[in-house]
Amino acid sequence: MGAINTKILLESKDLERCPFPIPVGWFFVDFSENLQTSEIRNIEILGQEWVLFRNEGGKVGMTDPYCPHLGAHMGHGGKVVGDNLRCPFHHWEYNTEGWCKNIPYGKITPPIVKKQAILRALPVVERYGMIWAWYHPECEAPQWELPAIPELEEPGHVKPRRGSWPVNTAIQEIAENGVDFAHLKFLHGSPAIPPAEVSFDGHISSVNMANGYIVGKGYGPGLNVFHFTQEGVTATMVSYSVPITAEKSQMNMSFTHKDFPEGSRELAIAKKLVDHMIGQAEGEESAGFESVDFIVWNHKKYRPNPLLCDGDGPIVQYRKWFKQFYVADPETLAKI
Amino acid sequence: MAEVHVTDRDGNVSAVDAPGGRPLMEVLRDANLGVEGICGGACSCGTCHVYVDPQWAERLPPAGEDEQMMLDAIKEFVDVRPTSRLSCQITVDDSLAGMTVEIAPEV
Repeated sequence: MGAINTKILLESKDLERCPFPIPVGWFFVDFSENLQTSEIRNIEILGQEWVLFRNEGGKVGMTDPYCPHLGAHMGHGGKVVGDNLRCPFHHWEYNTEGWCKNIPYGKITPPIVKKQAILRALPVVERYGMIWAWYHPECEAPQWELPAIPELEEPGHVKPRRGSWPVNTAIQEIAENGVDFAHLKFLHGSPAIPPAEVSFDGHISSVNMANGYIVGKGYGPGLNVFHFTQEGVTATMVSYSVPITAEKSQMNMSFTHKDFPEGSRELAIAKKLVDHMIGQAEGEESAGFESVDFIVWNHKKYRPNPLLCDGDGPIVQYRKWFKQFYVADPETLAKI
Repeated sequence: MAEVHVTDRDGNVSAVDAPGGRPLMEVLRDANLGVEGICGGACSCGTCHVYVDPQWAERLPPAGEDEQMMLDAIKEFVDVRPTSRLSCQITVDDSLAGMTVEIAPEV
């Protein structure tokens, strides 16, 4: 008998639940309808507090709270003035891109003010009736555009049903279940491990589960669009989880389908598909994520070197793909 | 320690002892010669502007980008000359002993 491998016995003591930095990508901030013209709000997402505002022209800004001048928190007493966010302390003003547009008393504009934005402002777009922000820890510009989602942008679809759930884990862990096909049988009670194909190309991941039953794409870490098709009827699940802190995320989802006639077979199937995405659905043996996944997510630790077996999904390939969204020091990256 | 000859805005000339390693701005500010140095050396206020004696100007390391941008920015308000410098960007050392500077007008 050789010596036993104690590493596998003892490793969990040193493991972390969420060793991940906040990843690079587009993230959902809020629904457009929730931010009125001239409104300012403090929000905590992406690992810090931000000031979210809509200027008088309707444009949304999302900036670091602290004025580059003397550090006042602009979300406490700041105001929207025209196109700009005005600091309460000395009335320096910043536009939605973080450029200082007015210093109401200095004679000379400090050169850096003319040269670049001096307040960190995340690039923001409004798509699908939502506010999206591009996060990069070193303030780099967006590396891809958000995709078209006809179900959310074009007429002929029902008003999306929405859901939002807090989760005590990082978004990499949440989405990992999307490629963990074996857990669908054991945790969710699906009759069998579904056959699945996964591919990765740049910032996009693609999955086809159970021969077209679920076909989905991930666009970076913050947006996934899945189509569930049964008997020729398709329902769409758009998932847009956002990191709140390193160990806390908010899972957000919108569910929609074509505006099928009331009482039609198609409508019944589409509604059942949506029910099934979320939780228990009549006539389905397996459970949706709401009833079973949270208990795992909320308590697990991340094993960077998992012990996988032959029936497992492409966990390693998924993690390698996700790693492109982390910008961090080598020591941090080694834990992922 | 280097002795620097300073002409203030009233034309008075004085000799100031400047300890090595300090920014010239701090020396002038602490000697109450009219230099404010509000931004503390960030090249963002333009209140430590001096005219360096031409013979000495060429012996200083050239102005960096930030300093040059600030000098360009204050042109609108004061006379900026080829030997204009922000004194916060001049670090005193022994080689500056005997240097002559004039405090530029307020912006």
